[in-house]
Amino acid sequence: MNTDETGPRLGGFEVRLETELVRVVAERAAAVARTETAPSMWRRPGRLELAAGRLLRSPGLARALVTTPSLLLLWLIASAVVLAAGAVATLSSGRPWVALMAPAVAAAGIAYAYGPGIDPAWELSRSMAVSDRLVLLVRALAVFGLDAGLGVAASAASGTAAGITFGWLVPMTAVCALALAVATVSRSANAGVAAGLGGWALLIVSEQAATGRYTEAVTSSGLMLPYLAFAAACVAVALCATRIPKGTS
Amino acid sequence: MNVEIADLTRRFGRTQAVAGVDLEAGPGVFGLLGPNGAGKTTLLRMLATVIPPSSGTLRLLGRDPGGYGGRRQIRRRLGYLPQNLGYYPGFTVADFVEYFALLKEMPPGRVPAVVAAAVERVDLGDKARSKLRTLSGGMLRRAGIAQAIVNEPDLLLLDEPTAGLDPEQRVAFRALLRDLAQRATVIVSTHLVEDVGAACSEVAVMDTGRIVFHGTPDELTVRAEGTDAAGDSQLERGYSAVLAAARATAGARS
Repeated sequence: MNTDETGPRLGGFEVRLETELVRVVAERAAAVARTETAPSMWRRPGRLELAAGRLLRSPGLARALVTTPSLLLLWLIASAVVLAAGAVATLSSGRPWVALMAPAVAAAGIAYAYGPGIDPAWELSRSMAVSDRLVLLVRALAVFGLDAGLGVAASAASGTAAGITFGWLVPMTAVCALALAVATVSRSANAGVAAGLGGWALLIVSEQAATGRYTEAVTSSGLMLPYLAFAAACVAVALCATRIPKGTS
Repeated sequence: MNVEIADLTRRFGRTQAVAGVDLEAGPGVFGLLGPNGAGKTTLLRMLATVIPPSSGTLRLLGRDPGGYGGRRQIRRRLGYLPQNLGYYPGFTVADFVEYFALLKEMPPGRVPAVVAAAVERVDLGDKARSKLRTLSGGMLRRAGIAQAIVNEPDLLLLDEPTAGLDPEQRVAFRALLRDLAQRATVIVSTHLVEDVGAACSEVAVMDTGRIVFHGTPDELTVRAEGTDAAGDSQLERGYSAVLAAARATAGARS
């Protein structure tokens, strides 16, 4: 630290006081630096992070990916609990609760993944060399992947029919994309969650009204293409909402 | 020049937050003074490439931040401390600084050493493994400063950096600023006139989105002469006199 300049515009006493304080602080900083704390504060990247870094060709994105569960720990616990309860309910009632719950649970997690008003360090992230859109993408992927894994585990544990077990993955994509789009446009995670849960509930109810089967939303092959098209449209909306805005707002 | 601004404006709906700012800044500590709502934070956010200007010309570190490539190059050499530092409560100080070092695309092999150095420079070495949620406001501010300086930036933007720091920490911080400013442009937005007097080589005073004074702290001090401007120091009186004169001129125009 430079301790020579102490502000010539200050009065004599203030200059001496500040000089003394600078000296004390500099001595203390030097003493601390000598303790060589660097190795103890360094956390080696795990295998998953190293692999993700190679795959994504960005250690920053890899760190964003692997830290996502820790940022959304409560969501992760809630997802596991809800899907476990769904598995138990499926086993006891014979109805595919896991398939109906998985998209809703994932949508809630996605809405809380990233963005203005959601991520506490959003403004800081916005000034980084790694694009905040890419950070959003890897976080959404992390949430989606974890929920898909939990859903598959819950489905396997509940012994649901194969068609229903994997049928929910495509609707889950659409519902997650809807939650992401609404969260980024409205800059509110709660709005994203409400849109995801509300949209999914509405779809189940409307399909039941139309066909008489509430599982139609996850079993109908005719819905898969519309789900994917809807998901693509929602992702486009999310990308638009996260672009660098034009000058005048 | 690391910062070149010409006729820069920024609007938020009907509100003109920055109204035609011209500024050039090279290496050194540049103080940005002004009352609340003067446009300091909006100007810093544009310099940090967080928001784009509504109109005008902006060049940072010799590059245009309007394009993706230029913006990415600038951001690699940029350090930014926002006014409201958001953080992840479950991260440790070292994790927090390291995360942003990686997002600044620093070579991974260098990251452990630069993170340790940045944490030590803000005197948080003994708190490096502490969770951010356990830190005081002043310590959090220092963690924010550590992430801003971790890449040894050529352009360092600090919005109210001394808020929450105790007197000893503020003195150390000023010394750190002077050290960094030997090779970098450091722009400090503050409403604490004493910080400017002690650390800055140049100062600008903003009011209602415009720069109403640009010069050295000594030149600002001189502005108090022959006026009855209020303040506890000559520099504060100079600052008050500049603001009073700017408002009188604006009032006469309207």
